[in-house]
Formats: sequence, C-alpha cells, structure tokens
Amino acid sequence: MSVTVPADRASAFRVEIRKLPAFFRRDFLVAWSYRLSFFSDWIGLLVQVVIFSFVGKLVNPAKIPSFAGQQATYMEFVAVGIALSSFMGIALGRVYAVVRQEQVQGTLESLLLTPTAFTTIQMGSVAYDMAYVPVRTTLFFAMTTLLFGTHFYWSGLLPTFAILAGLIPFVWGLGILAASYTVTFKQGTGVVGLFTTILTVGSGSYFPVTVLPSWSQGLAKLSPLTLALNAARGAMLGGTGWDGVWPAVAILAGCASVTLTGGMIAFRAALARERRRGSLGLY
Amino acid sequence: MDTAHAEEATATRHEAPAIEVRDVSRRFGGRRALDHVSLRVAPGEIHALLGPNGAGKTTLLRIMTGLTDADSGQVVLQGVPGRDPTSRETRGLIGLVPSGDRTFYLRISGLENLLFFARLHGLRKRSALGRARACLRDVGLEEAAAIPVGQYSHGMQKRLGIARALLTDPRLLFVDEATHDLDPGGAILVRELVGRAAANGAAVVWTTQRIEEIRGFAGDVTLLGEGSVRFQGTVPQLLASTEATRFLIQLRADGVGASEVLERGVLALEGLGLLAPVGVEDPSHFVLELSDGVVLGRAAAALQGVGLDVVACREERSDIEAAFILLTMGERG
Repeated sequence: MSVTVPADRASAFRVEIRKLPAFFRRDFLVAWSYRLSFFSDWIGLLVQVVIFSFVGKLVNPAKIPSFAGQQATYMEFVAVGIALSSFMGIALGRVYAVVRQEQVQGTLESLLLTPTAFTTIQMGSVAYDMAYVPVRTTLFFAMTTLLFGTHFYWSGLLPTFAILAGLIPFVWGLGILAASYTVTFKQGTGVVGLFTTILTVGSGSYFPVTVLPSWSQGLAKLSPLTLALNAARGAMLGGTGWDGVWPAVAILAGCASVTLTGGMIAFRAALARERRRGSLGLY
Repeated sequence: MDTAHAEEATATRHEAPAIEVRDVSRRFGGRRALDHVSLRVAPGEIHALLGPNGAGKTTLLRIMTGLTDADSGQVVLQGVPGRDPTSRETRGLIGLVPSGDRTFYLRISGLENLLFFARLHGLRKRSALGRARACLRDVGLEEAAAIPVGQYSHGMQKRLGIARALLTDPRLLFVDEATHDLDPGGAILVRELVGRAAANGAAVVWTTQRIEEIRGFAGDVTLLGEGSVRFQGTVPQLLASTEATRFLIQLRADGVGASEVLERGVLALEGLGLLAPVGVEDPSHFVLELSDGVVLGRAAAALQGVGLDVVACREERSDIEAAFILLTMGERG
C-alpha cells in the first residue's frame, strides 16, 4: 500500500495533476459549508455594481475612452474593470490566504508531509477559485446587462477568458511571493491588500488611466493588469473579438515567468528558513 | 499482543535501522533543545521517546520528519545517508500523528479529510475512498464518517490523526503523544493499531510522557532530559536502572488489632525503614519506605520475626516511573 513517488518526470507530473481535483473538492465543500458567505459574495458584487451605477451618473461620458470606435458608458467601462480586478483580488488573496489559512488551521505541516510538490499545493489551492471566477464573471456581466442595460459584445467573452487565463500565472506568481512573505512574517494581509489596491486602482479598473497624474500614467502603462484590462475592454466593449488578445497573452506570459520564478524561489527560501528556525507551524 | 510485540521488536533491533539519528543537535536562540542525540530504530520496532515536558522529544520528531532542520548531525532514513527528509520520495514513506489537535479541515467530514490526504499521497479516488473508509473503521470512527471534524471530540480527532497516519501503511511512523488525553479504551485501541503497523514492518517512534504505556509495548527506549540522552536501552534495562524503595504492603497477625500491628511493625523495622498506615478505612494496608541500602527481603523477614504475616506487597510507584524521575531529576527540581 505504501505509495512510491514515480522516478520519471512524466509519471510524477501525471501523479501530481491527478491530485488537483482533490483540492477542488475540498475547497468546494469548505466554501459550501459557509453558505451565507457563499451567497453574500454575490450580494456584495451587486452592491458594488449599484454604487458604480450611481457614480456613473456623475461621470461625463466624453471622458470615457472608446474601444474600436465604440463609445462605452462608465457603467460598461467599470463593469469590465470590476470583473478583472475582483478576479485578481480573489486570485491574489486566495494564493496568499491559503498559506495563512493552512498555518492558522494547523494543516500546513500535514500538507507538507504528504508527497506533494509545493507547486501542486499552490495550484491545487487556487483550483476551485480559478474555476469559480469565470462563472462569476459571466454571471456578473449578465447581471449588469439585465439590471442596468449595459451593452457587451458577448463574442468577446471567450477572448476575455483567454486574457484571464493569461493573467492567472502572473497573479499566481504575485500570490506566491505574498505567500512567502506570510510564511516568513506570519501576517501579510495589510501588505497584500495595499498592493492589490495600488495595482487595481493604478491600472484603470475603476477609471481611465488618463485621469491619473502624468507620472503615474507611465507606470500604469507598464502594469500587466492595464494591458489585460485594455484587451478585455476591447473585446467586450469594442467587439474586437480575438484581435489583440494573443499579443496581450504573450506579454502576460512573459510577466508571469518573472513573477512565477521569483515566487517559487522566494517560497522555497521561506520554507527552508522556517525549517531552519523551527517555526514552520507557528502563526 | 503488546508483550509479544515488544519481545519481537527487541529481537529485531539489531537489524539495519530504518531510522537512524546521528549526533543531532539543535538550539533555539540561547536554549539548547537537543544535544548530540543519536538513536536507531529497526523495521518493525517501536522505539519509545520518553521525557518530561521540554525535553526535546517533539523537536527530535520534527527533525526526523523534515519539518525542522538540525543545527548539526544527520538523520538517515531507510538506510540512505544524505536522503533529504523533505524530499517527496521520503515524505511518501512517512506517517505522522502530530500532538496538536488542529491538523484537519474542521468544516468538512472525517471521511472527506482522509479522502483528501489519501489523494495527496497519490492514491486514485476509488482506492483512496476505500482506504479512508477502512482506516475510519479501524479507529472506530465509521459512524462519525460524515460528521464535520469540527464537531469531533478531542479523542475522536486523535483517532482520526492515527487513521490519517496509517492511510498508506507507512514504513516510518512517528507518533507524538497520541494517547495524551485519551480515555483508557481509546489509548488501548491506538496502541493496538500502532502495534499492528509495527508488526507489518513499520519502524515506529512513539513519543510519550505516559511512561506506563511503554512497558510491554516498546522495544527500545530513549529517555531525553533537557535535550540530552539520559538513558538508552530496553524497557527492562530502564527498570533495572533504579531500585524501588516504597511499597504498599498488607500485614496480618492472628488475634491482633490494626493499631498493634502498626506498633509491632514500626518497632521491627527500626533502622530498616518506616511504616505508616494507608488510612483509617483500610487498617490492614501500610506504606513501607525502606532506608537506603535495605532490601525488601530484610524488611519482610523483620516483620515476620515479630509475628506479622506479609499477605501482599507491591511497589507504591511503578519501577518505570521511578526510573523516569530518577533519570530526569535535573530538570524536575
């Protein structure tokens, strides 16, 4: 019965992939056990949309950029921003929080004692959210269309998912960096929250980057989230379809290789440090 | 079953060790947690790691399982020097029963928890489910399989911990205070399960403060005190390292009352030891404390010499407890 870890990389990879549904099942069961929280996420999203619909009444539509010649309303502009930034917030928060949660629950050491790669643990821990977020995004667009009469090019939905898929590894890398911080310093909520806010606000999630001070406009243009937002808005609001999606995904992949490599190095170093200090299970 | 296993384990302790700790030291800041500790555990052996609070037992266990690094020294698992205890291959061989309670996902059921960990050990869903159910049955939690672990009692969570450690029949089993806070029935069950794992060839390190439970259960013992090895050997050798001095004895003399039995006994034992009644409700039992260098036979002969029959006699405190206290006296003050 003792399970041996396959020696060849391909078999070992297959074994690791087979473990991902177990994480998905665990996290679904945990999420479902908090039914009120499960549904309050939707209520929170709806409240956010309502607030922005009022803000939209104060915004001069001429200030909103057009996409492929299509003039968007503020509500349409911000709906795509909310969809992507909440995805980023969930993904980043989840990768970071999973380590913290496992530490506090006392399950981190139990997990690390299984013959499972750190990468699998990290990937598995976001599997449920990564599956849930596209569903949430679709329903969110449908909800704003029904309630506020926004207009989206539904042909842009799949390209938007492709952009989200390109954004995942980038955000995941950032999340692992945040998780390393958590493993080492035990508390990271403030740092991660601040970083997420700066990134989402500074990337034009809620308003066009043209209203930012000129120095920060330059920084915003360098942000991978700005790139993802522009591509997604082009697809959903300008009806550009797949045009411009792949170049954006390619740039996001380059950014992801940096964050993922840095994240993995930092996470391994954090675990090694905690083993040396003997404080892996402390929180 | 326990005694048989202990004998078997003693016979196997000279085999190639499955777990070998070589000269391991570890400090936490200025505090020395482990000081040049070595031990060997053969396949099929239950090795008791004994010591008072803060002796370094859990630190050593964490070093053996790769959760904490040693400052110096080496842990050799399955005879492979330099094998990284944190490698996936090594982790596949290890089962750990941690001392803490909070090692499960409290919102999901015991069965779902075991299923999750079995899958992480690489079992496919069907065999993971079968194995999880079998392990729950073994630890007597079959009825509670569908209940969220957060609703389990402390003892149930301990048993679930045993079930998780045994999911894959590990070759190396580390058990940290598994019977702490368990009722006697639960403790016996846990010892039986661990004994069965050892009988199937697992090398077991059993950490405990409940020293009575290692008699007839463990093969070898390492007694730690302030991070140092205070004793290493078999349980009988541990017992031999101390002499009992306090006994509970039952005395009787035909036609003589309790107070006179005591009076005669005290006089007879002058220079040999002290005799005191256990209590007014039990007039025939006394506590006998021998003076230094006096053996029990001499005291018994003296009592018989004044017409007192020694009906029964047993140590007031167990040999093993006495050895524990004697060998770790330094840190107990």
